[in-house]
Amino acid sequence: MTMKTSFAFALAGLALVVLALAPLVLPDYWTGVLLGMTGYVTLATAWALFSGPTRYVSLATVAFFGVGAYTVAVLNEVMPYPLVLLCAAGIGMTMALLVGLSTLRLAGVYFVIFTFGLAELVRQTVSWWEVNVTYTMGRYVFLPFEGRHIYWQLLVLAAVTLLISWAIGRSRIGLALKALGDDETVAAHAGVDVTRIKLLLFVISATIITLVGAIQAPRWTYIEPSIVFNPTVSFMTLIMALLGGAMRLWGPLVGAVPLFLLFEWLSVSFPDHFSIILGLLFILIVFVMPNGVLAKFDDLRKGNRA
Amino acid sequence: MLEHVVNGLVLGGTYALVAMGLTIQYGIARIMNLSFGDTIIAACFATYVLFSAFSISPLLALLILVPAGYGFSLVIYKVIMKPLVARAPDEGALEVDSILVTFGLLFVLQGVLLTLFGGGYNSYSFLNTPVNLLGTVVAGNRLLALVLSLLIGAVLVLTLYRTRWGMVLRAVALAPQSAPLFGIDTDRAARTAFAIGGAMAATGGVVVSMFQTFTATAGVVFTMKALIVVILGGKGSVPGAIVAGLLLGLVETFVAAYIDPGLTLAAVYTVFLLLLLVRPNGIFGKA
Amino acid sequence: MSAQLKITNLHKRFGGLVAVKDVSFNLHPGEVVGLLGPNGSGKTTVMNMISGALTCDAGRVNVNGVDLTRMKPHRVAKHGVARTFQLVRPLPTLSVAENVLLSLAFGRKRHWGREARDLVEEKLAFVGLAGRGDEQVGNLTYIDQKRMEMARALASEPSLLLLDEWLAGLNPSELRIGIDLVQHLQGQGMTVLLVEHIMEAVRALCSRCIVMSAGEVIAEGPSAEVLDQPVVIKAYLGDDHA
Repeated sequence: MTMKTSFAFALAGLALVVLALAPLVLPDYWTGVLLGMTGYVTLATAWALFSGPTRYVSLATVAFFGVGAYTVAVLNEVMPYPLVLLCAAGIGMTMALLVGLSTLRLAGVYFVIFTFGLAELVRQTVSWWEVNVTYTMGRYVFLPFEGRHIYWQLLVLAAVTLLISWAIGRSRIGLALKALGDDETVAAHAGVDVTRIKLLLFVISATIITLVGAIQAPRWTYIEPSIVFNPTVSFMTLIMALLGGAMRLWGPLVGAVPLFLLFEWLSVSFPDHFSIILGLLFILIVFVMPNGVLAKFDDLRKGNRA
Repeated sequence: MLEHVVNGLVLGGTYALVAMGLTIQYGIARIMNLSFGDTIIAACFATYVLFSAFSISPLLALLILVPAGYGFSLVIYKVIMKPLVARAPDEGALEVDSILVTFGLLFVLQGVLLTLFGGGYNSYSFLNTPVNLLGTVVAGNRLLALVLSLLIGAVLVLTLYRTRWGMVLRAVALAPQSAPLFGIDTDRAARTAFAIGGAMAATGGVVVSMFQTFTATAGVVFTMKALIVVILGGKGSVPGAIVAGLLLGLVETFVAAYIDPGLTLAAVYTVFLLLLLVRPNGIFGKA
Repeated sequence: MSAQLKITNLHKRFGGLVAVKDVSFNLHPGEVVGLLGPNGSGKTTVMNMISGALTCDAGRVNVNGVDLTRMKPHRVAKHGVARTFQLVRPLPTLSVAENVLLSLAFGRKRHWGREARDLVEEKLAFVGLAGRGDEQVGNLTYIDQKRMEMARALASEPSLLLLDEWLAGLNPSELRIGIDLVQHLQGQGMTVLLVEHIMEAVRALCSRCIVMSAGEVIAEGPSAEVLDQPVVIKAYLGDDHA
């Protein structure tokens, strides 16, 4: 490991410790903000893990997020918590495998369209199942967690996600991902099993997203499909990752932190017009910086050097 | 049984109608418009307002809303899409950009509708008289919806395949790079196509509102179904959109009637995936 | 001597058009063979069926005794077949070195780490790009992009190299460099199938030629003889010149 990497790791470790200690001194409201922020950092990083290099824009974030949360709602009284998380991850993984196997061999646009409706499909199917098979609508989550407990779990997940993203970026798989984002045909002729790598990354990304939903579930004590399958989650994840730059390790984090604070403020100040503002903001972002803030910085740096 | 066939055709007719609009936008203007369904819903609400507040019949409302849909989409194209088209280095980049930007537009439109009308179910009663057709009873508004869909669809097909102007649009759809070499103004063609798509969405909205309840958040489902019809029919293929739309309407109605109304979307998805695996380029797409 | 590449009765149609009709030929180890023919004669289609980019409708492709018929491109690559593309296709977000590293990491052996870096430098030096690994591919000149693509193909350590009009578009001095490079490869015992229009290059490089026209092989044999056959001249230039 080079000096620079060791230094970066030390710095990241220190930041992690500070963040972990924060709830002990912060008031509950700010712990809640940190919790939400960490959730979105993880979502955006996991999203970018797959969608950044492959350029397959996934609009299905909330489908997996919701499945995670709903799994906890269904199973939290039946089995111990760690097992519940494991189940959630397993279900998310299976769902990602099915979706990936059926759409990733096709052109990117089919994938986008499929993921666009996936959340709605899952929501309707879950609702139908609850109404017709289990005769319940809405469930309660009784887990002895306070905000900071959830926050700590999310913090661990965020750190693991960033670590995975870092490791992939340095591995053969990372190189293959960049290559297939450029030109799938060339990558395939160089020996890259394009479909398998896309599938692998999609499954990893979706599993992490499912876990974020599962860990956050105890925050709502009451859960029903329309709450956990809220499409703004997919939307916000996408904006954050794109704004920060989906091709870079720290990009999604850089996008998620300010945007989460902005959204938090907007949703408190303009609760009735939140989605309009969100939409306009998003259009603006696509216009101003299609490759994300970090890419803009890189451009500026290159410009200065030249 | 026959009743379901008729209802399926009514539903399928409206799907075909709106999908034609989307396929024209995607095939000719190269814009994958995720806010398409919200344009439809906006037209539903507009019809509702015109009917309940001003007692304007939905048929008259068509005369107002179709040009309005055209104008609205024209403005959207000029303000939002044109700069994206101009800067896109290739078709793939435009596809991603347009998907993202219309995703944003979706939230804006939906937000406006939610603010104005709230999140509840809306409907109005228009021409709800039973009509005897081939031995089964069908609501008058449904029958009218079917007739309107067929009529407007036929006008569009005739325009595209029988007029010089339609040929220009089809030329742009087939060969966007070569069309300018023949003196075709591709920018104008794209703009017009996008606006026609908007007019079709408005038409669809008026027609749908006559026989279905709607909510401010239902746009996503309409976009989804229209997209599925477009893909199944083959990108940019109007006949494909008609066949696929009718097929989807029938599948949905039969699933609702014989299996469960809650599973229609799941059924639509299943048809979509199965067909994609067999024919990745759509029913009418080139292999 | 057993054949390195053995193609038997290869057949491909696109809709109503028969692009490749009953094509059979062999390449022996260390041979550099030209696959010639006018545009649309099916040469590139044959190349694509060998490399796995297209699947054939009938026939067999055999490399080093392994049946590669209908195999996906990435598996064909792992069985020792590498290719270049008719129009250069560099991977723009990767550096020159990373372009080459990709084939090393996913080719026949899975090289990675320091050992792979040394091999990248070796391949770059071989094609004349020593020390230029950190450059952006977009900044390379045309000939250097072609060199890079050759290095990328060689990096998967192939036993059979498919060059699809690799020399096209070069100026006379660049062409000389390109021909030298292929001759150098030949000296190392590489088997090469060359789709080429530049006759000067074909005469300089290929001991043997296979000529296709309208999807069929119309002539095959030592270059000097084949290129002067009336049937070949007719296929290229039309009846008047025969």
